[in-house]
Amino acid sequence: MADLSTQNPNGLAQRVATALLRAGGGTTACLQMPPLAGDSTDAGQIGLNAPGFLSLPLAPAVFRRARAAMQEGKLPKYELLVSADAVATQVTQLQLGSAQALFAMASGIVVAGKLFLIESVSASESQGQAYLYRLLLQDGCGEWPL
Amino acid sequence: MQNAKDTFYIALRSRLASVNPARTMTLRGVTRPAILVSEAEAPMAQPLLDAFALSWTGLEADVQLPAILAQMTCEIQYATAGTKANAGLDRGRTLEEMDCEVFHLLYPYSTQKMNYTTTPATPMETFVFWSEPEFGPAVALRDGLSRTVKVTVFAFQEQGEA
Repeated sequence: MADLSTQNPNGLAQRVATALLRAGGGTTACLQMPPLAGDSTDAGQIGLNAPGFLSLPLAPAVFRRARAAMQEGKLPKYELLVSADAVATQVTQLQLGSAQALFAMASGIVVAGKLFLIESVSASESQGQAYLYRLLLQDGCGEWPL
Repeated sequence: MQNAKDTFYIALRSRLASVNPARTMTLRGVTRPAILVSEAEAPMAQPLLDAFALSWTGLEADVQLPAILAQMTCEIQYATAGTKANAGLDRGRTLEEMDCEVFHLLYPYSTQKMNYTTTPATPMETFVFWSEPEFGPAVALRDGLSRTVKVTVFAFQEQGEA
């Protein structure tokens, strides 16, 4: 049966999450987003043209190692906790339908000048509204500074 | 060899646009036929559904001929979870539809080699040609199905070609 009780979201969880992330050493992560006007040329699809990714800052965020790599050859994984307020701001600016669409469009995320690949995204919610996003990341191979 | 790889992809993409114009995808802000070169796109955690992904794997060269003949293995991977209207229960049918499209994409088994590093692209002296497709088994991928098709692509190295 559906829960029909009245809930009035007041943004408390979002503000608490943002404050905790900031207090916990909040850093800035940058989503690598394709340009709004994409490259529709042949050269753009065969790796000839530079993709011209946009760097979209998300802050405050906390970055940490998710778990130790227990198997040989397995890369360590990291997780990034991002304030839902920061994500909502970018979703609004890009006029996207949801945070999932934003993360689906991203080709990766840069933290402290290093590129990571997004493996999965999950959201923690309170009263039906996300207050924190958890991104599971994996090391990118490229060692170029970003 | 890069010209042969580029030519093969663009040929298949053009053929897909005429075989099934409805099979499109939006990638990096552009809506285009649902075929991509894996090594020319950002890595993906999950395969893109209802799209063809080309990966270049094997490479051999026959140097006994007047011009070097490169033999490259191209794996065409595709996956589907069926359609929303049928709650995914038609995934076998949609995979079969993609199998059929692969036949149409690959036939005829040759095309003129082009140089896409110039604008506009310029035709080269030789053709790129390829083998008949080798279909791998359908593999269940959670609630979806995927398949890999192997094709051997042949191309002569022309004078001055990188």
